[in-house]
Amino acid sequence: MRISYEWLKSMVDVPEDPAELVAEFTRTGTEVEAVEKVGANLEHVVTAQVVSKKPHPDSDHMWLCQVSVGDKNVDADGNPVPLQIVCGAQNFNEGDHIVCAMIGAVLPGDFKIKKSKLRGVESCGMNCSARELGLGSDHEGIMILPEDAPVGMDFTDYLGTSDTVIDCEITPNRPDCLSMTGMAVEVAAILDEDTHVELPSVKAEKGPDAADLVDVTIDDPELCSRYTARVVRGVKIGPSPEWLARRVAAAGGRSINNVVDVTNYVMYLTGQPLHAFDLGKLTERDGRRHIVVRAAGDGEKLVTLDGQERTLTPDMCVITDDGHTPVALAGVMGGLDSEITEDTTDVLLESANFSSGHTSRTSRNLDLMSEASIRYERKVDGTNCANVAEIAAALFEECCGAEVCPGIVDVYPGEADDAPVQITLRPSRTRLIGGADIPEEFMVARLRRLGCSVERAGEDALSVVAPTNRPDLTREVDLIEEVVRLWGEGDIAPTIPAARNHAGGLTPEQRRVRRIGQVLRSCGLSETSTYCFAATDDLARLGIPETGRGVPVKIIRPLVAEQSEMRRDLLPGLLRSVAYNLDHGVSNVALYEIGRVFFGHESKSLPDEPSYVCGVLCGRRADDAWNQRFDEYDFFDAKGVVEELLDALRVTKVRFKAADPEQYPWLQPGRAAEVVAGGGQVVGWVGNVHPRGLRAMGVEAPVVAFELSQAALLRLAADQLSYQDIPTLPGVDVDLAIVVDESVTCETLMQRIGSAGGKLLSDVRLFDVYRDPVRVGEGKKSMAFSLTYRAADRTLTSEEVEKAHAKLVTKVCKSTGGEVRS
Amino acid sequence: MSMSDDLKAIEAQVAEGVAAAQSMEELEALRVSVLGKKGQLTAIMRSMGKLAPEERPAMGQLANTVRANVDAALKARRETLAAELMERKMAADACDVTLPGRRLTPGTQHLISQIREEVEDIFCGLGYTVEDGPYIETTWYNFTALNAPEDHPSRSAKDTFYVVDNAPGTVSHAEETNVQGESDILLRTQTSGVQVHVMERSKPPIYMICPGTVFRPDTADANHLPQFTQIEGLVVDEGITFGDFKGTMDYFLRQVFGEDRATRYRPHFFPFTEPSCEVDVSCGVCGGKGCRFCKGTGWLEILGAGMVDPNVLDNCGIDSEKYTGFAFGMGVERIACLRYDLPDLRMLMTGDMRFLSQF
Repeated sequence: MRISYEWLKSMVDVPEDPAELVAEFTRTGTEVEAVEKVGANLEHVVTAQVVSKKPHPDSDHMWLCQVSVGDKNVDADGNPVPLQIVCGAQNFNEGDHIVCAMIGAVLPGDFKIKKSKLRGVESCGMNCSARELGLGSDHEGIMILPEDAPVGMDFTDYLGTSDTVIDCEITPNRPDCLSMTGMAVEVAAILDEDTHVELPSVKAEKGPDAADLVDVTIDDPELCSRYTARVVRGVKIGPSPEWLARRVAAAGGRSINNVVDVTNYVMYLTGQPLHAFDLGKLTERDGRRHIVVRAAGDGEKLVTLDGQERTLTPDMCVITDDGHTPVALAGVMGGLDSEITEDTTDVLLESANFSSGHTSRTSRNLDLMSEASIRYERKVDGTNCANVAEIAAALFEECCGAEVCPGIVDVYPGEADDAPVQITLRPSRTRLIGGADIPEEFMVARLRRLGCSVERAGEDALSVVAPTNRPDLTREVDLIEEVVRLWGEGDIAPTIPAARNHAGGLTPEQRRVRRIGQVLRSCGLSETSTYCFAATDDLARLGIPETGRGVPVKIIRPLVAEQSEMRRDLLPGLLRSVAYNLDHGVSNVALYEIGRVFFGHESKSLPDEPSYVCGVLCGRRADDAWNQRFDEYDFFDAKGVVEELLDALRVTKVRFKAADPEQYPWLQPGRAAEVVAGGGQVVGWVGNVHPRGLRAMGVEAPVVAFELSQAALLRLAADQLSYQDIPTLPGVDVDLAIVVDESVTCETLMQRIGSAGGKLLSDVRLFDVYRDPVRVGEGKKSMAFSLTYRAADRTLTSEEVEKAHAKLVTKVCKSTGGEVRS
Repeated sequence: MSMSDDLKAIEAQVAEGVAAAQSMEELEALRVSVLGKKGQLTAIMRSMGKLAPEERPAMGQLANTVRANVDAALKARRETLAAELMERKMAADACDVTLPGRRLTPGTQHLISQIREEVEDIFCGLGYTVEDGPYIETTWYNFTALNAPEDHPSRSAKDTFYVVDNAPGTVSHAEETNVQGESDILLRTQTSGVQVHVMERSKPPIYMICPGTVFRPDTADANHLPQFTQIEGLVVDEGITFGDFKGTMDYFLRQVFGEDRATRYRPHFFPFTEPSCEVDVSCGVCGGKGCRFCKGTGWLEILGAGMVDPNVLDNCGIDSEKYTGFAFGMGVERIACLRYDLPDLRMLMTGDMRFLSQF
């Protein structure tokens, strides 16, 4: 909402300096987006006339113009010389009066006009649009002045007085502030001042009654709760008086002609959108025009004022000529066919109230916003339609030479719903919610300033009736908000609640999730964040089966095809991050993410959203340093990370089982394991990602990865296990290298050693795996263990150790088919 | 030569030898030559028996004194030599301390998680709980229960990702029948739905925050992401005032941005709070004078908030006459941008190691 300070000043006493009001707006909840000075400081900007207009020799859309600026540009003898200006606008003709910024001008936004060359042709200034001059939003073309505008006059002088426009963002609950009268009331309440608004009324009604010329039928009161029509005859279409054009421009509109300007001006003034139909273009039957307001037919067409053909739906509301042809899209935009033109003499003025919901959907679905739709969307004051029509009729009389027909056609099925409501406000409740000692007198005074009627209705009760242009005031709390914001939220003393009988903090699960991240970071992985979206072929590209992952959750209108559903695995996203790094020359990548996946159900509305912990390792932990060398990440780096994590969470009975390639087809066979813990519960997997899948994801380097179910981790996690005595007596270390078939796993050997060692074996550590076809044998490997024998109560003798070890060796060799390597 | 002369000569000889010894080995050879089995002093001690009995005490005493002096001289020299040896070893061991150390290169936490945990810790310190909820919600939890009108623009498909509903009408609050003509199931656009879930399942007092991922159909660019992070908070208790809200926000914002930052409360409108406001902190770059960073205003907009609308409490089965409360919401990415002046939000989603390792 653009507020002309000069206009506002005519309705309420405001401070000399607009900055003071801006500060008050900010304090009380009207957000100021910009403050523009118009008409001032426009040096070197002059009124001008287009002398000639020829196509630019080297451009198909620019024009080469000679622009007369009168004696603002003269030759050596003092004779006026036109300026050569290259102009890209299309809306002007030779002879048009325009506004020219000459070299040296500085337009709003610190836009300096300099001599320049456009496609090789010199340009000595610029033809200005209203927006470039800070006079409005119009940037469709350059500003065209009336034909009687002088040439070569300083534009500031031409405009007359200067003005300041405060551009405010109005929140959706405040339709009243989309009008100058509403804004005046708001300002009066903020400043505690009186308003002095004078509205014109019709001087003399003439001719036939409006009711004899027009009738109105509302098909569905849900779409339109009130429709009033007035008729004026004999209008003389022409330019608006300067004051009218200036106010329309200040409000952000474009001066079109006196009739259209009056409807727009009155809308800016009152917030009530108006529409003027050319009466002559409506069908006459039985001596009258018949306005029928009805729902649009499915697929019905209407060409709106902007020249676009619109296809309508039954959710939309149209104004029709006798029920047949739509002549306007209700609440949004008029139709082209009944537009006011230079030949218009008789006008049917619509001042109506259309449903906010339908208007808002119509405007959104057609992508067509208008000053009218913005206002209907936020609700228009239905009680005021006739009063506003009167103001407009009076201005038609004053500015367009019109005769106003007596009376108004007023169909008002929604009258009962528009009746103001009575609200009880408790001053004590206001003080409680506000947390401030606001006096009752303040509440009464400021609510009255806002246009409420306020009466005392008991010990702690005020009876309040809100004005009809404030649909946001229906409950006590709505009034409390008004009082608190006018009192000043900034002036309320800060306190901190006592929170009696409440304890907070993280839950054990939340602390464990944090712990997971800490362990992974300490293992060298960095946390990242990827999109929860997925492409439909993400799983297929990696060869991840859909089994157990439900059906995809499909996004109805995805932004991009690669994000058309919700992910069902974290791995594809992390592999994209690996690819991103590799593509950008970063070869060492170690990332993890803790995030959700989405498993939809065929027959349920909402999916499951389990969380997973996924990590990827590619390249090396770091580049070689002067004193450190690093190997390429392999399976055992990823497994080591998983082991650290499970250990830190005190997960027990952990096993890594060779992953079945049928079940884990996205992993490299023989280099992948299923992670099982707590006695057979599957936690996740770890392994090399299958090279085929990597290629499909654009990753050209080996990647090892893991993915673990957060739920399983949290379920299996335990508190600190109980303390183990620290040995006080020395143990005896014995090395054992045993040669076994490749098929004998480390896990098997460790198990056999453990069970053969008896009570005296306290520790087993694998320290070497050695293969050599000659020395060890084809298909065999030597596994070297360091064994520690120890008794808690005595120092073992060498005889005891030798006996125990010999027994262990015999048993292990027997059960594994191995032999001791000497 | 008498025995006493011999003893004195040995003592003098040892003193000379000790002074001349340059290594432990030389010193040891000297010791052996005097005190060893075949050493000179050992020989004299052995021959003591041959002396006349009257000479023995005096000579024995002298021999012992000499022996003690020899021991002491050897020991002192040994210590000196050991100290010199250690000095030489250390000198040889000296290194260029400017060479890089051996680092463990731990990973880093994502910037957004860092801020999220920081905010969680601040509110846990105030006695809040941290709550979570589904990313995929019904229109009821995301909008209706929060007092968002049926025609609120935020419900449109331009501002909300709707997803295919595989079983229309099966979730509770089935009165929500495709208000926007799409589906009643959506990707949450705010974490506020979590507040509704919490209010439905627990009674006041409620002091909670709900940090989490949210979605809006904004094409990813320098200033927008279709997926981002919000932290919302909710307090519902007896006697909660706007002042309580302000005190809490003042404390929180100073914890996050610094004790010297001022706050500003501007009345605003949100469907689920009333009175509502937007909260600004003074610009950290210019200290509130106005600069490029704060677009000349001196203030940075940080969060939207207000007193919980009684309709919201009623929708969740809480007596809005007995209880009042406040709610607030902020974007974590916004805090990240304000703190680190990030040029492009998309960096947060690429997993670029060069970016992640900075934080």
